[in-house]
Amino acid sequence: MVTLGHFLLLAGILLAIGLYGVLTRRNLIAVLMSVEILLNAAALAFVSVAAYRDPHLFAGQIFALFIIVVAAAELSIGFAILLNVYRTHGVVDSDAISEMRG
Amino acid sequence: MSLTAFYLLAVFIIAFAVIAVTATNMVRAAFSLAVTFFLIAGLYLMLGSPTLAAIQFMVNASAIPIMTLFIIMMTQSRTTPTPRLWQMTLGFIAAAAVLGFLRAAVEHGESQTTAASTAVLGEGLLSAALLPFEVASVLLLLAMVGAIALARRRAG
Repeated sequence: MVTLGHFLLLAGILLAIGLYGVLTRRNLIAVLMSVEILLNAAALAFVSVAAYRDPHLFAGQIFALFIIVVAAAELSIGFAILLNVYRTHGVVDSDAISEMRG
Repeated sequence: MSLTAFYLLAVFIIAFAVIAVTATNMVRAAFSLAVTFFLIAGLYLMLGSPTLAAIQFMVNASAIPIMTLFIIMMTQSRTTPTPRLWQMTLGFIAAAAVLGFLRAAVEHGESQTTAASTAVLGEGLLSAALLPFEVASVLLLLAMVGAIALARRRAG
């Protein structure tokens, strides 16, 4: 039988993988992709706890829905900013934009 | 819920997530990310929530990888440089710390799930969570307008 612990542990492993990606990736697009993995791990934890512990309200599922919405909004804005970074600097590398210049 | 299906999904989710954060080829990483999200939709089905599985499939497994591929092509970042040694050390330490922090998660032994029908979820969304629902729609509109304004090619 699959227990809540299985799902929470999988969400934790996904969280660790996403955190590793955020800290090691040098391309900013890849950093945003790792942030997506982090947000999905959180949504998975919410949905699994809602399915096992919350038989009436489904508040966890509504939370997961809002996580997906906010992730989509954040990603589109982030990509638009990265497009501007590419126009001004020629690359989307985290090393290239370390100076504060307009 | 069968344990075999869960372990099969979990192994593939972890494998594709690792590829998505370590591959130097960005296109390969984006496709691995799409497969990861697609398999997480399978987990939502196992948890008895077909609505969220459908939304996950439509938004996270389809729209976001397509957007990522577009931005990879537009910024000509086909490959990403390999991380430096101190970055990898820091990443491993942070990931190990997170796993150590979350090790108590396996102690939750509940095995009884309740399925969430679309009708109940929609009713909760439009009664208990009505204000966040409206705020989310405004947020999506703002994100759309903001992305267009930011990505617009300026004259001159």
